[in-house]
Amino acid sequence: MEIVIASGKGGVGKSTLTGSLITLLKDYEIAAVDADAEAPNLHLIFNVERWKEEREVIAAHSARINESCINCGICDNVCIYEAIYEADGQRKIKEYLCEGCGACRAVCPVEGAIEIFPSVSGWIRIANTSYGPLVSAELDVGKPNSGKLVTEEKNIAKNWVKEGRAKHVIVDAAAGIGCQVIASLSGANKAILVAEPTPSSLSDLMRAYGLTQHFRIEAFLVINKYGINPGYDGLERFSRENGVEIIGRIPYHSSVPKSLASMKPLVEFAPDSPPAKEIKKIAEIVEGWL
Amino acid sequence: MKITVTGGKGGTGKSTVATNLAIALSKKYHVVLVDADVECPDDHILLSTNLENEEKVYLFKPKFDYSKCTKCELCIENCSENALLKFKEGYPLLMPSLCSGCRTCQLVCPEEGAILDDRRLVGYTYHTKINDNLELVTGKLEEGEERSYPTVLAARRRAMSISADIHLFDTMPGTGNHVAAAIEDSRVVITVTEPTPLGVHDLEMILKLLKKLNLKAWVVINRSDLSEISHDEIVEKYNAEIIAEIPMMDEIMKSYVSGIPVVEMYPDSRASQIFANIVKRIEEVM
Repeated sequence: MEIVIASGKGGVGKSTLTGSLITLLKDYEIAAVDADAEAPNLHLIFNVERWKEEREVIAAHSARINESCINCGICDNVCIYEAIYEADGQRKIKEYLCEGCGACRAVCPVEGAIEIFPSVSGWIRIANTSYGPLVSAELDVGKPNSGKLVTEEKNIAKNWVKEGRAKHVIVDAAAGIGCQVIASLSGANKAILVAEPTPSSLSDLMRAYGLTQHFRIEAFLVINKYGINPGYDGLERFSRENGVEIIGRIPYHSSVPKSLASMKPLVEFAPDSPPAKEIKKIAEIVEGWL
Repeated sequence: MKITVTGGKGGTGKSTVATNLAIALSKKYHVVLVDADVECPDDHILLSTNLENEEKVYLFKPKFDYSKCTKCELCIENCSENALLKFKEGYPLLMPSLCSGCRTCQLVCPEEGAILDDRRLVGYTYHTKINDNLELVTGKLEEGEERSYPTVLAARRRAMSISADIHLFDTMPGTGNHVAAAIEDSRVVITVTEPTPLGVHDLEMILKLLKKLNLKAWVVINRSDLSEISHDEIVEKYNAEIIAEIPMMDEIMKSYVSGIPVVEMYPDSRASQIFANIVKRIEEVM
């Protein structure tokens, strides 16, 4: 079973929920995937101090213009990333925008003036937490395609399942609906969408839900920070209109930020707090899926 | 002048800060607010407006005329996304979901007319008038599309084609090149964070990106009374500066959910005063 926790909107509590679910479901041998390579945080919930393994991923390409460039400017118009600029009488590449597609090299009249070389896209890290194996990734800042790192992470987790090191996979997706979230949802069995009762969160939830439908993945809703916006029923209406079951309503409580500060999963830091009790109910539902 | 609000972590309050600054700045200046969070654009919701003047964003995609193809395979060799496969009989075949639209296949093809122009819809941009002095340009990624970068660029182009005193960009969370494209060339970069280990960690990631872009960061600590956790070490390490702390306030929450920026709904509140102070800081560098 592969379950993805997603939301569209950032900061609604995906990692808090993921951390607590994995803690509660420890006996089910779950591999954790932190699928937000641009803001990886799950290791902070589990207070990972040392990585067991760390490796560089060279999956990106970058262009380099050398001194034989005659500054003709033909490359300017073909760069869809708008990564080429002129300085000191030479064309140059903004490395934080370039995706190394090679369009500039294809039109360059000077043989060898533009080189395309493989570059670091980021790092994949592995840790053993007291709740099971964790794979995390970090995109090198300014690089494209963090989704490729997520795909790589999921392959690692799937191998753990094959080798018997884990039985199930829980993926903590990134905010948004782009490449990282698509890579997270691809091949998953179920999605838990987390939202808070605000119009912005509902709007982003609808986008994330649209993606789950695109990939035909069964989606469930968890309302976090329940009660911060009394009288608002947008999420309930969404649930009714789309037939998305609400499997939890986690109340807002001061124990949540405190647990983040303590770097412990909420259900361990404050097991009797109202949000922890609600997450335990959600865990029982998830248990039924495993 | 270009100002950008960013932050690494999601949900720290980027859009709240951006919309309030946009309203506050528009009292004196002509402002274009650019919602570059194309995966989940929300600024129009915080401003209670509907998106108008839709334009579609397309990316190139190759279309093969096999009658002209000589099976030289140059297109396949030069596709950095490995989106072209050798099909039966040796013709190239496109895997559309992998294509980045870079056009390199067409540029390297030696046969005139063997690779023709086709396109795919990847997103939308909108231009909405909020009031006489404030316009909103929004980018919105097509659902199911992986690549947000082209839509960010399209929104940026549309926004920059409007003349204004201030272009205020609100970025996506994260640190990839789609965020860099929204940030580059800013005079002022405001990073919004929160006092949790997650906020501190992700602030460091965005400060690393800003260092690469050679930009100095202003830091706004939102929900500053959430915990005792300090950003000082990171802020010092990257030579950034904390310019404001916004404690948790009912007024902010109420204005957030009612779609009226706090500087309009509660102009005399402490929150509005904090935004007025940030405006003063911005004016000092204008």
